[in-house]
Amino acid sequence: MKIVIVDYEMGNIKSITSALKYLGVKEIVVSNKLLEIQSADKLILPGVGSFAKAMKNIKKLNLDKILKDVVILNKKPILGICLGMQLMSNYSEEGFSNGLGFINANVTKFNILDLKIPHVGFNQVLFNKNNTLYEGLNNLSDFYFTHSYQMQSSQDIGQAICEYGNKFIVSYELNNIVGVQFHPELSQTNGLKLLENFIKNF
Amino acid sequence: MLRKRIIFTLVYADDFFTQSRNFRLQKVGNINWLEKNYKFQGIAFSLDELIVLNASKEKKDISGFANTLSRLVDDVFIPVAAGGGIRSIEDAKVLFDNGADKIVLNSVLHTDINLVQELIFKYGSQSIVASVDYKKVEDNLNVYIHNGTKKLDVELYDYVKYIENLNVGEIYLNSIDQDGTGFGYDLETVNKISTTSNIPIIIAGGAGNEKHLLSGLKIDSISAVATANLFNFIGDGLPNARKIILEKGLNIARWIK
Repeated sequence: MKIVIVDYEMGNIKSITSALKYLGVKEIVVSNKLLEIQSADKLILPGVGSFAKAMKNIKKLNLDKILKDVVILNKKPILGICLGMQLMSNYSEEGFSNGLGFINANVTKFNILDLKIPHVGFNQVLFNKNNTLYEGLNNLSDFYFTHSYQMQSSQDIGQAICEYGNKFIVSYELNNIVGVQFHPELSQTNGLKLLENFIKNF
Repeated sequence: MLRKRIIFTLVYADDFFTQSRNFRLQKVGNINWLEKNYKFQGIAFSLDELIVLNASKEKKDISGFANTLSRLVDDVFIPVAAGGGIRSIEDAKVLFDNGADKIVLNSVLHTDINLVQELIFKYGSQSIVASVDYKKVEDNLNVYIHNGTKKLDVELYDYVKYIENLNVGEIYLNSIDQDGTGFGYDLETVNKISTTSNIPIIIAGGAGNEKHLLSGLKIDSISAVATANLFNFIGDGLPNARKIILEKGLNIARWIK
């Protein structure tokens, strides 16, 4: 099993790398090079920081084209985490930027009076039994979040939801394209189980 | 439902983990001592988050601190915030590269706003925890920087508002008077601050047992409670505290076995 963590020069990947190691993944490579990405069994798109800056880096590194080739044409499984999950959507209000457009969804600011922002801490995720990402986990399991923008979509993208001020999308799974708003690598056994499910089921 | 968090804070100074009392540090043991007495890979299942602070008084040796941090967080799958003595983007990067998921800023919030803005731009607001140390003097709540040695000419409420406007992710509010006493939190002050604040507040200073943690967790407007008491939670202290808090039905996270 070779997993490539797509490096667009933002965010820290130590926790993800060590979680994958813990799960026994043999080869973990951090790269933005075409050949490495093509040779991966699965991809992880990590990220913290601002959406617009991330898209700028992605374009600078030609990763928008590379990812479109391997994810949309070649159907390689990809897991976006936190900002990485948002980046695969159409558009974000954060910096008013277009995303990669793999998933029919938009990212908006939390907009409720007196709600403490960012949404930070463990929160309960509501999924349905078709969501293979959560296999073996109880509904309303806790995952660790830290973000100020949220995903919304009117489409069926295999979403799971969570509530903070309002309901929003915290994960999607559409064939080979998977994203989670929370950080599985920081969510104790619940998160490790979810990463294991991604590796096994996608 | 968004859960409340229980955070363990480790205070590091010159190769040792320390017990702080009113910001006076007592050396307790090095990383080997800590691994023997706390076994973090196991203990982490009683915690929602870990904060590691570098309080070295002389030269703040970031690389030594980062090495210890890196060893500490191996196979620990909860968020880790680290800080103390961050004076540049490079300092922050070293901590992120060695296992920090967030960084903790204190003195630079006052002395170097440009750096704070750069760090927020690079890593995002949610990666920045603003640490605020305060002390009660008569009726005033004074703010201190540089490990509690320099008093600022600003009142705590105004300082917290100022920090919120910097657009940081969370505030770590630490009472120097209560620090390390085991007498419980300064609930009067944290109550006032947290109800008017629009970002998450972590309270610290004074928690010596699970009753103190409970007293903080019961306050709606508080997001997290922290304890840095190395002595009171040694061995099974943290797992037992979490068990009791769960049994009382408090709103904290649960994980599969």
